[in-house]
This record gives sequence, structure tokens and C-alpha cells, in this order.
Amino acid sequence: MLKTRTWILLFAAAALALGLLSWRLLGTPVEGTVVEVVQDGVVLREIDLSAVREAYSFVVTWPDGGSNTVLVEPGRICVAEADCPDGLCVRQGWLSDRGAPLVCLPHRLVIRLKGEGALDGVSR
Amino acid sequence: MNTKRITKMALLTAVALILFTVEAQIPAPVPIPGVKLGLANIITVYAMFALGPADTLCILLVRVVLGSMFSGAMISLLYSLSGGLLCYAVMLLLRRVLSERQIWVCSVLGAVAHNAGQMLAAIAILRTTAVAVYFPALLLSGMVTGLFTGLCAQEVLRRLRKA
Repeated sequence: MLKTRTWILLFAAAALALGLLSWRLLGTPVEGTVVEVVQDGVVLREIDLSAVREAYSFVVTWPDGGSNTVLVEPGRICVAEADCPDGLCVRQGWLSDRGAPLVCLPHRLVIRLKGEGALDGVSR
Repeated sequence: MNTKRITKMALLTAVALILFTVEAQIPAPVPIPGVKLGLANIITVYAMFALGPADTLCILLVRVVLGSMFSGAMISLLYSLSGGLLCYAVMLLLRRVLSERQIWVCSVLGAVAHNAGQMLAAIAILRTTAVAVYFPALLLSGMVTGLFTGLCAQEVLRRLRKA
């Protein structure tokens, strides 16, 4: 079909485009301080991080077993502890003020900033 | 189905499962869900070119199902299955049009298809499109890992043909 050199050029261009797009999507600040804690498509809690005065934590349990402990501090939120197999939600650290949400795939948990992010800007 | 063919498929499935299990012990370099090396893909690509589509599908399905059981996270079966089947479909289409020295191309595009399948499964399961912001990063990682596993598979094929 195509020559190997053509494939290399094609892939290099695609990689560059994807890199730029990631940078734009994950690097654009989101307006707003309200976060949503969503499990299995249901909004469990809405927290205005700017209104938090004292740190607290709460546990989100997954019906099929397992749980995530969410830590809320003034102005920031993270998953402090979880017993999911990969533990990626804990390693993602504090929710950034950018578009990227905290995600725990095994427990179907998403913590995200409510507000207009890069993705919304693109899709509108 | 003759004995030699079954033995070959069983052997390749076993190797794929070993690669899968070993890889599961390596912590992900970036905490983006879905990013992984995908070493077991080496076997899928190899089988696609050395054995044929039917055998590859068997190996893939058995590896995905047993792999999820071994890792103890049956939820990952849905992601692996949707990604694996999409990857398989893309490689099936490309198999005939690529030369022996372009097997890595097949692997890169297969990996990208795998990531697309995973992302679709994630959106369906989490019921939110919020995770889609990670999609370009996921595709980029798929291109890099797909290139690596593809070059591995290509080299394995070349060396085993010689032997």
C-alpha cells in the first residue's frame, strides 16, 4: 500500500497533532470552583471548594465491593485512599484546576470540576 | 483442527498471558486510566501474520478472558474486550495490504483502535463524557506502545521464519 516512509510521516504528524490537542485539553484552566462527585452516572455530591473552611473526608462505597475515601480541603479535593486494583485514582493526586477529572474506572467514580472546560469550549 | 495447530495456539496464549501478568506488576508510568504497554499485543500481531485470523481471534479471546480473571478485576474485561475486538478488526483489514516490513504499522493502528474501543467502553460504563479529555493522550500513548510492540512482533516473525 503506502511506502514505509509515508507511514512514518503520517504517524509523526498524527502524534504531533495529538500532543498539541492533549496539551490544549489538559492545560486549559476551567472556570469555577464547584466539583461534582459522580458514581455510575449519578451525582452523589456537589461541593463548592471555595466554601470549604475545614478539611474533611467521606467514603464513597461501590455496591459490588470496594470504596474510595475522598479528602476535601479548602480549595482542593483528592482521593486519599482506595482499594481498587490499579489505585490510579489515588495517584492522580489533587484535582487540577484544568480540565482533567479524577477517574477511578473499577469503582466507576469521576470527580470533576463543574464548569466550562476546554472540551466544552471545543464542542460548542 | 490438527494437534500442531492447537499446540501452537495454546503456547502463544500461554506466552500472552505471561506477558499480561508480568506487565500488570509494573506500575503505570502516568496515572491516566487505560495507558499501558500492552505487551500481550506482540502475540496478537505475531499470530495475525504467522497463523491467521481465526487462530488469532481464539488466542485473543482466551487471553482477554483469562487475563481479567488472573488480575482479579472482572470489570477490566469490558474494556479489554471492546478494545481487543476493535484492534482485531483493524488488523484484520490491514493484514493483506501491508508488507512483511510494515507489520509495525498494523500494530500502531491496532493499538489506536484498541484505545478508541477502551474509551468508548469507559464513556458507556461511567456514563459521562468527562473522561474524553484524556482521549488524545491515550491515543498518543497507544501510538508509542503500538510501535514498540509492533517492532517486537516484526522481529520475532523475521527470526522465527529464518529458524
